[in-house]
Amino acid sequence: MMSLRLVISYFLMFTGAFFALVTVLGLLRFPDVYTRIHAGAVVLTISGVLITLGTAIYVWEFFLSAKVVLIGIFFLFSNPMATHAIARASYSRHIALPEEYEIDAYSEYLRRDENANT
Amino acid sequence: MLQKISAFVFLLSVWIIFSGKISVDVLIVGSAASLIVTLFFSDMLFREVHQKLPWYHYLRKFALLLLFVPVFFYEAISAALSVSKHAFEKEHSFNPGIVKVKTELTDVTGLTLLANLITLTPGTLTLDYDRVEKAYYIHWIDVQTLEEAEMKKKIIARFERWIGVIFR
Repeated sequence: MMSLRLVISYFLMFTGAFFALVTVLGLLRFPDVYTRIHAGAVVLTISGVLITLGTAIYVWEFFLSAKVVLIGIFFLFSNPMATHAIARASYSRHIALPEEYEIDAYSEYLRRDENANT
Repeated sequence: MLQKISAFVFLLSVWIIFSGKISVDVLIVGSAASLIVTLFFSDMLFREVHQKLPWYHYLRKFALLLLFVPVFFYEAISAALSVSKHAFEKEHSFNPGIVKVKTELTDVTGLTLLANLITLTPGTLTLDYDRVEKAYYIHWIDVQTLEEAEMKKKIIARFERWIGVIFR
């Protein structure tokens, strides 16, 4: 019974580590800022949650497990805000503009705002 | 008043979990800290309800919220696998782009939560929300279609119905 618990926790942790490895590969290989942010979203959503769940099953004590799970929930809250802030700032401050995209509805929206202000 | 009491209880329980044991000194320091935070910031944590609903509605919403967690993780893992597949390709075969997707939600909490869920799913990323046209601007790593209904079905329809029922 106890070894089954260990097997489950090791499985969760190794799956999380695999997704973290994929994130590094994606960060190195993807062409521009926004697609790299997509690769970075994998690590906190999937591998952060899987590793915290695996650790919570591994220690298997009420307060420690609750603490680890709370840290995982905090990952889930803080990750989209940081990702969204980086992407929106790099677009609207003209730091990294995706000029080669064929489909770009957001530039029309920004241009409409500038016309309304002037 | 109910808002302040629930904020106090929530903060105190988080304090107890992070301190790891229940004893007198933990309770004293924890209730002092939670009281100070509650006095200043209690309106940021929970909102007051405007329309009164019978109590079983809240129970139903809570059950739906718990049921939503496995659905979300299933979607997130399948999206993560498709993004990982792109990372292993020799030649990049995806087609990134920014699309505009209309939504029917009106509640502020629901809109925020839906935007965060879209960002949390690998492969889609919310850039902005347009108040006038009620539309999200979403960066999508692999734009497959430009038709509006298809796009909506592929990106947000899997979360929008749940959020629309839970936060109404």
